[in-house]
Amino acid sequence: MRERKIKLVLVLTGSIFMLLFCLAPFLYMISASLSSNQYFLSTQGFFEITLENYRAILTAPSLHFIDYLRNSLIVSSATAVLTIFVASLAAYCVTRLAMPGKIFILFSVLAVSMFPQISLISYLFKFMAGLGWVNTYAALILPYIAWTLPLSLWILVSYFMQIPQDLDKAALIDGCSRWQILRKVIFPVAAPGIISTTLLAFIFAFNEFMFALMLTTDYHARTIPVGIALFQGLHGQTPWGNIMAASTFSTLPLVILTLVFQRRIIQGLTRGALKG
Amino acid sequence: MKGYNRKEIKESSLFLLPLLLFVSAFILIPVIGTMIDSTFLDVAFLKKRFSGLDNYRWMIRSPGFWQSVRFTLLFVMVSVPLEMILGLIFALLLNEPTPARGILRASVLVPWAIPAAVSARTWELIYNYNYGLANFVWRKLGFSAEPINWLGSEFGAFASLVIADTWKTTPFVAIILLAGISAIPGELHSQAKVDGASLFQRFAKITLPLIKPALMVALIFRTIDALRIFDIIYVLTRGGPGGATTSLSLYGYNYFLIGDFGYGSAVSAVLFGVALMLSIAYMKIGRFGEELK
Amino acid sequence: MPASANRAGGKVFRLVLFPIFLLLQPMGCTSQPDGITLSVGGAPAELDFWQSLVEQFEKEKNVQVHLLRQPTDSDQRRQGLVIALQAKKHDPDVFLMDVVWIAQFAASNWLQSIGRYVETDGLDLNVFFENVVNLVDRHRGDLIALPIYVDGGLLYYRKDLLGQYGIETAPATWEQLVENAEQVQQQMRKTLPDFHGFVWQGAQYEGLICNFLEFAGSNGGGILVEDGKVALNSPENLEAVRFMHDLIHKYKISPLSTFTEMREEQVRETFQRGTALFERNWPYAWALHQAPNSIVRGKTAIAPLPRFASGKSVATLGGWHVGISRFSDQKEPSWELVKFLTSYEAQKKLALNLGWNPGRKDLYNDPEVLRDMPHLARLREVFENARPRPTLPYYTQLSEVIQRCLNSILAGGVTPENALASAEKEAQAVVNRYQPR
Repeated sequence: MRERKIKLVLVLTGSIFMLLFCLAPFLYMISASLSSNQYFLSTQGFFEITLENYRAILTAPSLHFIDYLRNSLIVSSATAVLTIFVASLAAYCVTRLAMPGKIFILFSVLAVSMFPQISLISYLFKFMAGLGWVNTYAALILPYIAWTLPLSLWILVSYFMQIPQDLDKAALIDGCSRWQILRKVIFPVAAPGIISTTLLAFIFAFNEFMFALMLTTDYHARTIPVGIALFQGLHGQTPWGNIMAASTFSTLPLVILTLVFQRRIIQGLTRGALKG
Repeated sequence: MKGYNRKEIKESSLFLLPLLLFVSAFILIPVIGTMIDSTFLDVAFLKKRFSGLDNYRWMIRSPGFWQSVRFTLLFVMVSVPLEMILGLIFALLLNEPTPARGILRASVLVPWAIPAAVSARTWELIYNYNYGLANFVWRKLGFSAEPINWLGSEFGAFASLVIADTWKTTPFVAIILLAGISAIPGELHSQAKVDGASLFQRFAKITLPLIKPALMVALIFRTIDALRIFDIIYVLTRGGPGGATTSLSLYGYNYFLIGDFGYGSAVSAVLFGVALMLSIAYMKIGRFGEELK
Repeated sequence: MPASANRAGGKVFRLVLFPIFLLLQPMGCTSQPDGITLSVGGAPAELDFWQSLVEQFEKEKNVQVHLLRQPTDSDQRRQGLVIALQAKKHDPDVFLMDVVWIAQFAASNWLQSIGRYVETDGLDLNVFFENVVNLVDRHRGDLIALPIYVDGGLLYYRKDLLGQYGIETAPATWEQLVENAEQVQQQMRKTLPDFHGFVWQGAQYEGLICNFLEFAGSNGGGILVEDGKVALNSPENLEAVRFMHDLIHKYKISPLSTFTEMREEQVRETFQRGTALFERNWPYAWALHQAPNSIVRGKTAIAPLPRFASGKSVATLGGWHVGISRFSDQKEPSWELVKFLTSYEAQKKLALNLGWNPGRKDLYNDPEVLRDMPHLARLREVFENARPRPTLPYYTQLSEVIQRCLNSILAGGVTPENALASAEKEAQAVVNRYQPR
């Protein structure tokens, strides 16, 4: 009995702490975005709701907020779609086809995901500069695909592994090519896994910072994380309301997406990290 | 090559080709290119020439380098255990069949979903000396009349970074550990309860040992990520005050900015070496992929 | 070849490589199809003014100008420019540079030489401050930039307090400054316990070097790099840093926060709150001190910085210069824009609207400008004696090394001799590494 009471207390306090811990900064961001001034928590502050901050960031052309959002969406979507494509091809091969050295490839790819970004950026920058691609979508999408491939590969491998090979064999007998099997048999069955991976790839591409910082120079290709990081105002006076509005506006869809698909996302992350 | 047939190998190659192309072109080759570049005097306003280990010698003699090494190590040693402990607590909570489970799980994903750089600006506001949330809470809690100079003092900057990073990355740890905890068969716990084991005994003797693989995974992932930390520091403190919170990644980045690519490459090569060692350790410990054979 | 493998291969090619091939057509525009891009930073209000300024240019010359807004933070502006220039992009064509970056940009071959444009158009360079143009805007003799905004360190002081305590003029030497400060501080502390005689920038950042060069320069010292040799550990510098240290720890007329927190804004706010007698700051603070809600409104005056007994008053040169990218695809229109921005009318507008100290000397006699910015009369003298920081491409590295050592001297705990000696050694290592052979 006593133990159950202790457990109840622990769970209760723990849950409250967890909720506060996880949500407080986010809720603060939203409140600050709706406030007419940034001093509302200081000793003489007051809180007044206004939508002015949102209006400002959405209508001021020199802030380029809409450009950043557009760039982020395009780059992240393209990355997600292409990553899934490339990763499913490879995952299919790893789980179904016999090939020497595929384990080695799998682990090399995993090792590669642990490289620090700073160790790539200098050569990558020179490469992109040489092609004249700095500040274009290509400069971001191509490295992003490579960067999200390892995790996507491992997640898809763990999903594909669970699909019985009899399905393949039946289709092969029917005369389908491997590619057709992938498209018509595996994809539908592994749809949940595909969705998870697409979401994860999208989120990772959206949140990426260092490549976007070094490979873009202005609003033509700059993405949201860099745009908001560099958001500045008057000498000494930072427009926190605007910054928070921009942050909320750009991340609210992400958060909603995450909440709606939380099961899939958690599943995907878990399988990617723990390999099933 | 017994057991492999030519047709399958051909097909396999085609299927693997895109992956290999991307990873080679945009990760492997850049890394190798960077390592090679580290042996050159590669400065924007000087003539490029081969310099061997000069950049590394310069690095060893640089107080700035050692300062960033010290900071990075300290950061890893403080934030990773913190994230692991918090992540474990959260995972245990998420495992409980409480009515609020859905809300809890949803809330734990929020920090993870927001880009680090964006959340860092919110933290910048939170840590604002005059009107931020942190000092508001500090004042209300009444610890001292004087608010903390979070971003302007060395200790404050370090603390603010640890807190901000922990907030961002604990969800990941929690999710991984949750998978491990939920995989523990319920009978083990009920049996132990029947045998008279207390709550904490059950935790220590059953839960902890059985989630060891998950703990190792989370630990190594987090360690490598903490070593290469960049986003949050760039936005929150820019490596200040006076270089006190400059991580190795940021240190290398600063040198790229002034045009010294050779030296920046050398710094990133060092970081890469450490990350590589850790990832090899991870794979040795993991012993994964056996199912695939 | 078996049919299925063939088809698999074909599908792979079409569906994987084709989209990639599409991507190879770089998406996201790389350069403006027409017109030139001008990169400026600043507050939203400043931007509106720049917009109106370039609109006038567009009408006059029939050239389209795209304004590219950059962050206000100096480091971030530099980063944006460095990345674009390193990647040899066509845009931005024209941009503003902090005076400290010019050496790096020029040595990296990123700046278009404008000497021949000046000659062809018969532009008179003497209207600009000669010391500024000759010391900063030339790279190996070539003219590569022009000053658009000049800045130099000043001494601000409370003329009401000086008058109250019978001090007739602003101090001409550091000794006099200490005397005045001690005297006034002692009295003022009775009512304002956190009153300080002299506030200046001593935190570990670029501003510390600016302050140091003013102390040391007025003693005949400074940071000298010649023929690959660094001269830092000189008796003049030693005397100067000892003095800086004593201001905080011996005479106690500067607060302890000088070496931990004091940057431009902190210093300005301290003076503006009425808790300081003397302030070392840039000219921008003047307008803020005279703002309607400022405690020190009408009580502030400016003077050149003091000097040591045997030296001359020195102000560290700051400010912004305009340059053309060497990779610009529209060099003639860009030069027209530069000419426009450095013209009398445009500079006058910049002065009247943004409070910018013009790079042209002739504007310092303009009656309208003097009416709005009366303090400009004194500034001309200061700027003519302004001294730049070492014009080296690797100045950032050098500055970082010296900042650290200077700040540790101010914090105490190291003897000035040792710190200065080790600063010289470290600085020499930097020079050895980056000096072109």
